[in-house]
Amino acid sequence: MIVADSKPLVEIAPLLAGSRRVLVLGCGGCVTVCRSGGLAEARELARRLAHPEFFPAGVPEFRVDAIERQCERDLLDAYLEAPPETDAVLSLACGVGVQMVSDALEPLPVFPALNTTFMGGADEAGLWREKCRGCGDCVLAYTGGICPIARCAKKLLNGPCGGTSNGSCEVDSTQPCAWALIYYRLRKQDKLHLLEEIFPTRDWRPGGGSGPRVRRRAGVAGGPGDFR
Amino acid sequence: MAYFQVNDRCTGCLACVRNCPASALDYRDEGPQRTLLHNMTRCARCGTCWRVCPRDAIEFQYLLRNRWDEVVTLELVRCRVCGEPVHTTRLAEAVDDRLEPLAEDLCARHRSQRASLAVAYPLAAGKGLKRERAS
Repeated sequence: MIVADSKPLVEIAPLLAGSRRVLVLGCGGCVTVCRSGGLAEARELARRLAHPEFFPAGVPEFRVDAIERQCERDLLDAYLEAPPETDAVLSLACGVGVQMVSDALEPLPVFPALNTTFMGGADEAGLWREKCRGCGDCVLAYTGGICPIARCAKKLLNGPCGGTSNGSCEVDSTQPCAWALIYYRLRKQDKLHLLEEIFPTRDWRPGGGSGPRVRRRAGVAGGPGDFR
Repeated sequence: MAYFQVNDRCTGCLACVRNCPASALDYRDEGPQRTLLHNMTRCARCGTCWRVCPRDAIEFQYLLRNRWDEVVTLELVRCRVCGEPVHTTRLAEAVDDRLEPLAEDLCARHRSQRASLAVAYPLAAGKGLKRERAS
């Protein structure tokens, strides 16, 4: 899931200076589950922003809504309706949703209320850890299901750096060394021989190094090809 | 009201069933009738059905905004002074043996008011809240 954090109010409020009617728009996807951008957070953000301390010249009228996903254009076109006279939108989606809503409601200004942070998994209820960088060329089959690109601070592909210390990372000693985790996982799987393979210099183009990535799935939504 | 609804343009072509990535749609042909089936627990509300329907028959708005389901109805205890809901009878029964004093039928404001009166007028403790709620 995409994990995002709330921006500070003092960063958000100046973006809305001069606006009179603001739509605070939550997203029902990832950011609802990670408790940063759902309907509840949108309501709370509107409540906290509606204070003269942030708007000495007049507090805008805040209206709150949410849509199931802000990241699908046709869904937005069909079901997102900005209330009349809305002059700004504050989106609590990830960066994808903010851009999609910007496109759908152009030329209405759409501002981000969150900092999109990482793709992660919930190791415990309420605790998300980064697990994937979307590199486009997955190596998990060779690393015991532990990603060195997302979980090693240096993204090393051929074992730990010299700073690994008793299983901890030298960049942040509260974090485990990904390569220590990989070693112990492979040892349990009796696959330590995989560590003897050398990963060649990596081609980062599938990871976005050659520009934004685009995928079209054949057969989806009436497109060409057989979906099943 | 069902979450997955189609309007009378539905022809039963099964495009939605064939394309649902979550296998949340199915159908049953029985005698002279075809019935479209939907399983809400499987449904990802991805909208693929709505997109592929060649007749715009799927009323996707009911999967975006719909009614609340009533889940359980329990006996409620209200503040005996002002009538504000305090807790359910079942909650009181569940926690009474771990509470001192016991869960009582007073809201936080009137519990606090009674405690203040008890400190100020120890002899009149418990008699300060005379405006009992008319029931």
